[in-house]
Amino acid sequence: MDFYKGRVLRIDLSAGTSTVEPLNMEWAQRYLGGKGLLLRYLWEEVPTSVDPWAAENPVILMSGPTAGTGVFLGGRLVVGCKSPRTGILTDSYVGGSFAPEMKFAGYDAIIVTGESPKPVVVTVKDDLVSFVPAEDKYWGMRTSEIEEAMRRDFDPEAKTLSIGPAGENEIAFACLSTDLHHKAGRGGHGALVGRKKLKAISIRGTGSVSVGDAKEFLDYAYRLQTEHVLNEENLAMHEEGTPGGAQLYSDAGAIPTRNFSSGTFADMENINSDALLAIRTKVRACYQCPVACRQWHEAGGVSCEGPEYETIALCGSNCGVSDIEALMRFNLACNEWGVDTISLGNVVALAMDLTEKGVEDFGLRFGETDSYVKAPALTAKREGVGAELALGARALAAKYGHPELGFEVKSLELPGFDPRGSFGMSLAYATSDRGGCHMRAFPAGDELESGTRPPDSLEGKAQYNMDLQNAGAAKWSAGLCDFWQVDVEQLCLLCERIWGRSVSEDDFLQLGERVWNLGRLFNLREGVEADDLPTLMRAEEGAFADGLSAGKFIGDQAFAAALQEYYALRGWDENGVPSEAKLVELGVDVRL
Amino acid sequence: MPHVMISSKKCTGCHMCELACSAYHEGAYRPSVARLFSEVNPTTGAIKGHTCLQTACAKCQEACPEDAIVTKEITVRVKGDYPGKEKHGEAVKGSVLVVLDEKCTNCGECYDVCPTGVIHEHPDKQVAFKCDLCGGEPQCIAFCQNPHVLAVDLKVDKTDRPGARA
Repeated sequence: MDFYKGRVLRIDLSAGTSTVEPLNMEWAQRYLGGKGLLLRYLWEEVPTSVDPWAAENPVILMSGPTAGTGVFLGGRLVVGCKSPRTGILTDSYVGGSFAPEMKFAGYDAIIVTGESPKPVVVTVKDDLVSFVPAEDKYWGMRTSEIEEAMRRDFDPEAKTLSIGPAGENEIAFACLSTDLHHKAGRGGHGALVGRKKLKAISIRGTGSVSVGDAKEFLDYAYRLQTEHVLNEENLAMHEEGTPGGAQLYSDAGAIPTRNFSSGTFADMENINSDALLAIRTKVRACYQCPVACRQWHEAGGVSCEGPEYETIALCGSNCGVSDIEALMRFNLACNEWGVDTISLGNVVALAMDLTEKGVEDFGLRFGETDSYVKAPALTAKREGVGAELALGARALAAKYGHPELGFEVKSLELPGFDPRGSFGMSLAYATSDRGGCHMRAFPAGDELESGTRPPDSLEGKAQYNMDLQNAGAAKWSAGLCDFWQVDVEQLCLLCERIWGRSVSEDDFLQLGERVWNLGRLFNLREGVEADDLPTLMRAEEGAFADGLSAGKFIGDQAFAAALQEYYALRGWDENGVPSEAKLVELGVDVRL
Repeated sequence: MPHVMISSKKCTGCHMCELACSAYHEGAYRPSVARLFSEVNPTTGAIKGHTCLQTACAKCQEACPEDAIVTKEITVRVKGDYPGKEKHGEAVKGSVLVVLDEKCTNCGECYDVCPTGVIHEHPDKQVAFKCDLCGGEPQCIAFCQNPHVLAVDLKVDKTDRPGARA
């Protein structure tokens, strides 16, 4: 079998046992892998309407067929479950080296069910699976500690996926970490893994992944590299990384500033890409990626990969913080304690806002760094102000009588692009399948970076968001990273090799649409709330007073109309329910 | 004499070289048996490259009691760019150290003496395996082509070690 290993490792934490079963190749032919195959397995494995905290709610790790091969940027892992935070699907992506190692160990996917009676680490060396008691040894460790422990106690080449103390304490925005600084960050799976008392899965694989005629594949890959990978567009990520966008988005009036009260941060120059380039020490890559976008920096004795754009936005400008050392300390603390920087930055800013407005004194103020840098550890431990921050934006804002100050969609805290500066993002957030997320459709790129679409209009944005979601869903089903700006033609050629049959551009885009509709059915089955956006982000009263996007607002009616336009384009009814005709057209093999 | 070098300063730890090496030699992607490797410490981000220095080292050949590691003539034509390209040009003639499977008894003497840790027992064949410069077109260099990185180089030393056999 080429690309796939054809094997799924099933881990039962309640029984302390594991089994290996065949990968469902019918599903793989229909949904490819990565996102698509994950969703199909979630549909099957998650009992309908299950309490997301229940032992029966699985956590699934899925690779793409490209992981562990020479397909560039093809080593992404996706983690999924029914989220205990949002109650709907969550799929969270991470690079690093875990997915390739999982393939070399002989597995396309790992399904974790049940709940361990006591804290446990699961180690996997090829066929050998062990359940290692973690209570006295590993539980409580921070990310670097558990990773080093696995290299010392299990295998020097072990790749580890772990929760930090935040996950152990079931913080809703706890992340899964691998290779220290790489995070499957968002959506609530970290809390579920903690509930399952699973500290880490550590894996070592010495096997192989086939791709047919290897020498022919190397020739193909070499041409692909030269003609389609190492070009200016992709290499920009190497030269500057994600921080490259910080100044641009601030100037455009679209970067979260002081709890989304403005789109422009006056002190952005202190934490923008230029500021970071001055303290950059090295650049690192994920497994099987020649672009290498991971920027390491050093300041004030702190050496750390990052901060990435989102961290600069949510933990920097959104908190009014312009001190680069403090930002790096905050980032490193989040990495070590195992907390998503986007959600925490969002909630810290909310707490700062409530403090400054005199609603409740959390001891946190915009721009003040002493208490700010302590927030990640306190939140992970649910200590002091951390216990309040752990509530998340929706619950914290509601608790103190200001729901309008909590910037979230479906309980997922909003990330680093304000829709008032980039109207297309309003639909992106509202219709994202896992809650407020910029990584499903990203119209901000065209609206503000290349400037080919107007940022202050919703015209054509319903179609655009849908197209981006469809193309993305297909790409993430192949296991590819976003930072390879690969065209559909090349993706089709790759898919033909993987599937062993002819794949047209329409086929490929239809795959994406199929995957997106499958996700929608899952969410409808489990009870998704109406697609919406925070009031202040669409109503006239929320328009910014300053910056390039000052005075601009989407308008409640225009937003509602755009949403209906989106549903109609998708072949969904006015409540966003896919029609039977659409499901048949796409070949979705499940129904509500 | 030609050998591959990984620059510890420039390497980003992507492991594309290991992947390509293994695919070329094994017929499938299997980096655990790559003939070179980049050792990455994820905690510190520190990197150390490990490659065979061929006749510039030749400790394995010296240690082998069976004469199973022989010196072969080779013309290396690098596919792609590499730091030494301007200096060495398109084709480099020299020698490479090759294991003769039929003579190797897997005694392990070479595994113990290799200073860079790049000769090992093959898990499937129970003989030593090592870098052979891919018979002339090193795949590792071919797949380290990010113009800002170019961490895999072909080095050509002026002299061999005294112990290297012609």
